Amino acid sequence: MTATISFRARQACTIARVELRRAFFSKRSFWVYLLALFPAAVFIGHGIEAKIDRQRWSAKGFTPAALFDGIKQGETEEAVRSRLGMPVSDQKWEHWRRVLREGSGKGSEPRVWEEKREQRRRLSYFDGRRRADLWFKNGVLHEKNIRPLLNFEEDRQVFAGLFQYFYLRLAIFFGCLGIFMNLFRGDMLDKTLHFWFLAPIRREVLLLGKYLAGLVAAVVIFTGGALLCYAAMLWPHDPGEVQVYWQASGLSHAFWYGAAAALGCVGYGSVFLAAGLLLRNPIVPAATLLLWEAINGFLPAALQKVSVLYYLQSLCPIPAPVDNSARAIFRMLLSPAEPASGFWAVTGLLALTALVLVVAARASRRIEISYSTE
Amino acid sequence: MTTAEVIFDDVSKFYGEVLGVNRVSLRIPPGITSLVGPNGSGKTTLMNLLTGLILPDRGSISVLGVSPRDPETMMRFTGYATQYDAAPRWATGFEFIATGLLLFGYSRAEAEEKAWKALEWVSMTEAAHRKVAAYSKGMRQRVRLAQAIAHNPQVLVLDEPLNGLDPLVRAETIALFRAWAAEGRHVILSSHVLQEVDVISDQVILIANGMIVAEGEIRGVREEIHDHPSQFVIRCREASRIAALLFNEDHVTEIKLNDDRQGMLVLTKDREQFARALSRIALAGNLIDGVVPADENVDALYEYLIGGGR
Repeated sequence: MTATISFRARQACTIARVELRRAFFSKRSFWVYLLALFPAAVFIGHGIEAKIDRQRWSAKGFTPAALFDGIKQGETEEAVRSRLGMPVSDQKWEHWRRVLREGSGKGSEPRVWEEKREQRRRLSYFDGRRRADLWFKNGVLHEKNIRPLLNFEEDRQVFAGLFQYFYLRLAIFFGCLGIFMNLFRGDMLDKTLHFWFLAPIRREVLLLGKYLAGLVAAVVIFTGGALLCYAAMLWPHDPGEVQVYWQASGLSHAFWYGAAAALGCVGYGSVFLAAGLLLRNPIVPAATLLLWEAINGFLPAALQKVSVLYYLQSLCPIPAPVDNSARAIFRMLLSPAEPASGFWAVTGLLALTALVLVVAARASRRIEISYSTE
Repeated sequence: MTTAEVIFDDVSKFYGEVLGVNRVSLRIPPGITSLVGPNGSGKTTLMNLLTGLILPDRGSISVLGVSPRDPETMMRFTGYATQYDAAPRWATGFEFIATGLLLFGYSRAEAEEKAWKALEWVSMTEAAHRKVAAYSKGMRQRVRLAQAIAHNPQVLVLDEPLNGLDPLVRAETIALFRAWAAEGRHVILSSHVLQEVDVISDQVILIANGMIVAEGEIRGVREEIHDHPSQFVIRCREASRIAALLFNEDHVTEIKLNDDRQGMLVLTKDREQFARALSRIALAGNLIDGVVPADENVDALYEYLIGGGR
């Protein structure tokens, strides 16, 4: 029988179907789920805390926003309390600090350290949406901090940072390492790779089938994890505010975050599948690739394009926040290179993936069964 | 398929510094061929090379005209029951075989039918739906055999196929090999049990230290060994007289009379002359009940060519 493309595609699907079980339920890579779900857990925790706070403070009554907006620094505790009434939270404590007392200036009298005691107090008020923390020092207001209990804009920024700094750089990176390197290496370690080699299949088809299995698992786990995290970020916020955002750009943002996660699996998956064929120790390719991705910002423009992260960051709808007070070297490490357009980012990533898979396919023809050396 | 033989042409394989096989050239015709040699001699290496699980460092291999580097074509007509004991954790015996058959392009119904038939051949239908990982060693051996034969291959390669089989299944399996060989297929197997090899093989390949020591039909190989006298057992009534007559022959080196004086073991350097001498003695009126070669078996060949240490 002459093998046709459709026949080979059916073979690849059969392999993928069998390998899906390993990709999803391998004991060796169970930690992948923890990586994928960690950000969602963070946002769910944040949302639960905010909801509990809102419920607890709402039960104690609201203070009109205009009242605490009008409070000025330098006002006394009594004045504030008489205008705003009972706070939702009242904390008092004493603060000790050491201060250097200068000498009198008459020659030998030395400078001495002495302890100063301050009465500190924090009164918190809530207007149903924002909380006002009023900080008193020795009975006088010295700082006022008014902020929404939940800050949608801030949460979106946090999500953008978490997604780019943790999810793309670490979670998907190491998750794909766990899933894709296990596809061939796992068979080698389990001494079952010969099962595939003794079937009438081209090695390239075997590689494709395994890649498809890993890809489906990784996309379900990580795109699912990203969208779950996104939903968890939106969940505690005011439904009206969320609806406005969703209709304006929320849906598009969700799509591009999901796409970036899925394409991350496509790109890193191909790299780690190839690494699993060429190398025995996963630490070597992981460390090398991690370093390569980290120094991407320092590389010439042409080399920057040989990076999965370069394309993924270009797809993210919101630039990740960068702390301007951080050292320049850290800012360079964290900042993406000049981003590519969405089209070129997707095309570039797919081209890079295809190139890596071609290299992997060539390597797959030379694999031998050598269980005794594992 | 351009040729009906399995051909190794100057094949060498090294595992780093360690020799696997060295400059092996073989032509294996259809029938049952046994690879015989001590542990580490290169039997499994030869089988793995033949099936493409490993690649030669030098030389080429052709299985009925197809290179093992083309598994898509070669594995359609080749089955290999390896010694690797592991099976995918997910699989029951039935799934293990049926999934493999799906890759041949059979429909699910066809694959399941063939899988069931293969399991029937090895008497494994009762355990078909249990996980392979939970099978005993003998059951795993049988299921590997079933997987190798499920697609009805033209070339069947079997690494120690009779290990772990109970006597009944062993006899059935040998009968199956014979039936397949009678159909003009290749059955290439390795075994440590030389008596079994002796009984079932059409030809043997003796291998030691990665090199082929001898190959061919057992009798032909024996005739090529001139260093060791040929041994014959003669059954007769007047053993002492016939022994005395034979002892006059130059080619006879040793005669051992049986305790019952009803026969003897004769060692001769020349089989042809021995046959002629025996004819003369019989024609002279000495009654000879039977003559059988005592060392035309794999055991003797092994002893002569490879030595002890198996």
